Amino acid sequence: MILLLWVVSFLGSAPIVQDTVVLSEVEVYAPKIERFAQGQKIQVWDKKSLENFEGRALSDLLQEQSPVFVRQYGAGMLASPSFRGTSAGHTALFWNGLPINSPSLGQSDLSILPVLAMDQVSLQFGNAGALFGNEAIGGSIHLENQLQFAKGFQASLFQQVGSFGAFKTRAMGSYSTKKISSTTKIYREFSKNDFPYQDLGQIGTPEVKEDHAAFEQLGLVQDFGWNINSGSQLKAAFWLNKSDREIQPVMGSNTNDQQEDQSLRAVLDYYRFGSGSVWNVKTGLVKDQLIFNGSTSRTGQYFLASDYDKTFSGKLAMKVGMRFTQIQADLSSYSTSDQRVEIYQSTKFNLGKNYTLSLNLRELVYQDQFAPFSPSIGLDWEIWNHQRSDLLLQSSFGRGFKVPTLNDRFWVPGGNPELLPEESWSGELGLTWKVKGNVNWSNQLTYYRMSVDNWIIWLPQGSVWTPDNIKHVSNQGIEYQGESSGKTGEWDWVLDWSYTWSRAVTTSGIGESDPAIGKQLPYTPQHQANAKIAVSRREFSSYLSTFFVGKRSVTADNPRMMPSYQLFNLGFSYRQLTWGKLSIPVSFQINNLFNTDYQVLYLRAMPGRSFQFNLSINL
Amino acid sequence: MRFKFNQLVGALALSLFFFSCENSEPEQPLGAYEQGILIMNEGNFGTNDGEVYHLDPSTLTLKPNVFETENLRPFAGLLEDMVSVNGTMYLVANTGKVEVVDAGTFKSLGAVSGGLDQPRSLEVVGSKLFISDYGPYDASYATPDSYVAVVDGLNGGMVTKKIEVSNKPEDLIAFGKYIFVAGSEEGKVEIIDAEKEEVIKVLEVDGHPAQFFEIDGTVWLYSTDAEEVYFQSFHMDNLTKATTNALPVANATGRIAFGNDNLYYLITSTGWPDFEDGVSRVSVVGTELDLDWITGSGFYGIGYDKVRNELYLANSNGFQGNGTVTVYGTDGTEKRDFEVGRGPSGFLFY
Repeated sequence: MILLLWVVSFLGSAPIVQDTVVLSEVEVYAPKIERFAQGQKIQVWDKKSLENFEGRALSDLLQEQSPVFVRQYGAGMLASPSFRGTSAGHTALFWNGLPINSPSLGQSDLSILPVLAMDQVSLQFGNAGALFGNEAIGGSIHLENQLQFAKGFQASLFQQVGSFGAFKTRAMGSYSTKKISSTTKIYREFSKNDFPYQDLGQIGTPEVKEDHAAFEQLGLVQDFGWNINSGSQLKAAFWLNKSDREIQPVMGSNTNDQQEDQSLRAVLDYYRFGSGSVWNVKTGLVKDQLIFNGSTSRTGQYFLASDYDKTFSGKLAMKVGMRFTQIQADLSSYSTSDQRVEIYQSTKFNLGKNYTLSLNLRELVYQDQFAPFSPSIGLDWEIWNHQRSDLLLQSSFGRGFKVPTLNDRFWVPGGNPELLPEESWSGELGLTWKVKGNVNWSNQLTYYRMSVDNWIIWLPQGSVWTPDNIKHVSNQGIEYQGESSGKTGEWDWVLDWSYTWSRAVTTSGIGESDPAIGKQLPYTPQHQANAKIAVSRREFSSYLSTFFVGKRSVTADNPRMMPSYQLFNLGFSYRQLTWGKLSIPVSFQINNLFNTDYQVLYLRAMPGRSFQFNLSINL
Repeated sequence: MRFKFNQLVGALALSLFFFSCENSEPEQPLGAYEQGILIMNEGNFGTNDGEVYHLDPSTLTLKPNVFETENLRPFAGLLEDMVSVNGTMYLVANTGKVEVVDAGTFKSLGAVSGGLDQPRSLEVVGSKLFISDYGPYDASYATPDSYVAVVDGLNGGMVTKKIEVSNKPEDLIAFGKYIFVAGSEEGKVEIIDAEKEEVIKVLEVDGHPAQFFEIDGTVWLYSTDAEEVYFQSFHMDNLTKATTNALPVANATGRIAFGNDNLYYLITSTGWPDFEDGVSRVSVVGTELDLDWITGSGFYGIGYDKVRNELYLANSNGFQGNGTVTVYGTDGTEKRDFEVGRGPSGFLFY
C-alpha cells in the first residue's frame, strides 16, 4: 500500500508536455492478417493496449481479455490455449508470419512468450486451414514486431518489481533513418514465485509457501528494416528466448522437476512493391531445445516461402504462394525429419460497395501424404454505413487441419506412423454494430459451429501409451463483445465487456459405450466473461478489470467439476513524470485484488493477491 | 490382523467374516468401511485424483470418493496400494506420501509426508512402518536409488532410515520380524530384519517379483517374465528358496487375484502391436491352465470375492475418465458392471 500512496501522490503534480519532433511515420511493411479473412472474427491488441501486460505472459493477456480459455498448470507454468473448445494443439501460432509451434509437441507454451517482447498481438477465431495452414483449427495467434523509419534514436528502460520476488527488466534501443531501422530489446524476467497457498494435499491443509516454482527468462529481440530503394524493402527479425523453470508440483506430489526451454527464431523478408502488387520472399528458422530433468529434446524448422499479392482493380485482389518446410527432430526417444510443401491462394472480390467476398484454398503435403485440402469462403456485408452508425454482417465457412505431431507419429514406444491428420469444418455468423457520438458504442455478436474429426488421443495399451484417431467432437458457441467510450467532464472513459458460451461435446469416443459421449470436453468452461473499465484524465489513468471462468470438468466423462472463479485486477498509471529530457511513466497494478483462492486445473495452486510496480525511463 | 488387497489372506478374511458374524463377543464393532469391498482407484498421472470407492455387495450400494467424503479434502495423490493392519488403513500414494486413516471410518489419523519419493507398498512390524520406494528418477528415468523407508510410529511421521534395496521394490510381506521385499527390476527378494533395520539376505528368484502371498504359514511369491509366470515358495526357518512352479503364461502384468479352489486369475497384456488383454486362470496345485479365460482390452485391476465366488475385473477406460468394473461368475459369464473412479487398480474384500 505504500507504493500505491506513492503513486497516487504524483497525481497533484502538473504534467509537463514533452518536446518531440514529429516526423512522418513510415512503417516497415507487414501483410495484414485480415486482408483475406473476410467473415472471420479477429481481435487485435496494439502496442499501447499491451502496456498493461508488460512483465506478464501472453497467456495472461489471452485469459483476461479474450474468449480464449487458457489451461494453466500453475503460476508461470505451462499455459496452453483453448480456442472455441478445441485443444492446445488446435491453435496455430505465428511470429512475424512464421509458424513457431513446436513440431514435436504441436503446440506452444504461452507462459514463456513474454508480452514485453512483442509489439502487436492478433487472434483469429475458427478454422483457417486455407489462410494459415497447419493447426489453425480453433484459431490462430499472430505476434508481430513493428518497425518504423525516420524516428531517430530512442531508448527506454522498463523495470517491474512485484510480489513473490518478481523482478523484470527490459532495455530497448532503436535507431532509424528514412533508409534503415533497427530495434534491439533485451529482457530478463525473474520470479521466486513463492506465493502462499493452502496445500490440499497435506494433512490439515496448512498454508504453505510454494517452494518449487521459481523461473527466470532471458531474451534478446533484434529487428531490422532496410529500404533498399523505393520499390523494395528488406526486413529481418531475430528472437532468442531462454527460460529456466522449477516445475511447480501438483498438490500432493513432491516432484523436483526442472525444465529449460530455449528458442531461437529468425526470419528474413524481402518485399518488392509494384503497382498494386507486393512480392514477398520469406525465409526463416525456428530452433527449440527443451531440457527436462536433464533429458534433451531438440527440433529445428527451416522455412522458405514466397507469395505474390496483386490488386487488379477496386474489385479484385489475389494472392498466390507456396512454402517449403524442413523439420529436424532429435528427441530422447527418436530422431526424425519431415518435409512439407504447401501451396495456397486467396482471392477477394468486391461485389458492389457493400459486399466483400473472399475465397481461400490451401493444400499441404507432408512426407508422402496429403493433408486435407482446405478451402474457405468468407463474406463481409455492410448492411448499412451511416454517419452515426454502421452494421456489418460477417460470415465464413472453412476447413482446418492438423498434421499429427512428430511425437504422435514417432515417439518410442507407442508412436503411430499410421495416424491421419485431424480435420475440422467450421462456420460462423457475426454481426458488428457500431454507433458514433458523444458516447461511442460497439457490439459484436458471433455464433459458430464446428466439427472436429479424427481427434487424436493417447490411450494406454497395456503398459504402452499410443495415439489414435479416436474422437469426434462437435462445438458451438456464442461470443459477444461490447465496448463503450466517452468523456465525462475531464475524464475519458472506456468500458468493455464480453461473454462467451462454448459447448464442445464428444460425439464419438472410445467405443460406443464411452461415457464421454454427449458430454462437455474436459477443462472447457461453458461460460466465460470479462469486463474492464478504464478512465483517464490528462496523464493519469486507471483501470479495473475482471474475468470470470465457469465450471469445467477434470475428465471427459465429467464426474468431477472444478468450481468457477472470478478475479479482479486494478491498475493506476501516470505517464508524464519527467526528469530533464527523460519521461518516466510509472504504474502500479494489483492482480487478484480480492485474494481469491482458485485453481485453473485440478490441484494446481495459483497465487492470491499480488502487487507490481512498473517504472519506465524513456529517452 | 492384516489385510492387503488382492492377497490370499482373503481366506483368513473370510473366516474372520464368519467369525465376527457368529460370535457376538464385545469386540470393537466393525466400521462402515471394514465391511464389503473397497475399490482402489489409482488416479491419473499429473492429476493426482486417486480415490477409494466402497461397495456394499449385498445392496450393490456404491460410495464414491470415500477419502474426500470423510476428510473434506482431496486425496491428492496416485493411490498405489491400500494396506489395512489392526484397524488402521495405510493409503500409499506413489506421488510421495502415505495417508493413514482409521480403517472403519476413513478419518485421517496421520501421514508420512516427508522423505518419500515414489512409495509402492507398506508393511507394519511392531510399531514401525516399512515402505518400499522406487527412489527418485535419474535423467534417463532409471531408479538406481531405491529403498525401503522406516517410519517409527503407526500413525506416520518422519522417515528415520532408508534401507537400500535393488531397483524398483514393489510388494512387501512381513513374517515374524522379517520383511520380504519384491525387487521387481533385478529379480531379487531381499529380506529385512525389522529390528536391525537392515537387509540380512538377498535371494535370486525367477522372473520379476510382483506380489507375495501366504499359504499355511509359508510365504509365496508371484513373479513374471515375457514367456512365463512363476510361483515360488520359501523355507521360513532358514529363509531360503524352496519350490518353483513355472507356468507358460506369456505377457502377464503382475496383477493377480486369488480365487477359491486354489485358482489364480492373472491379467495378461500383449502390448504392441495387437494390444490384447486377457485373464488367465491357473492353478499351482491343480491342473487348471486356461490362458484366455477372459479376453478384452483396457484391463487394469483384478480381485476375487471369495464369499460370493465372483471375479471383479476393472477397466481403466484409457484413463480418459472414470473406469468400470465388470463382475464375472465362476463360469466366466458377465454378471454386472458399474462405474468406479479413475484408473481402478485393485480391490480389498473384507
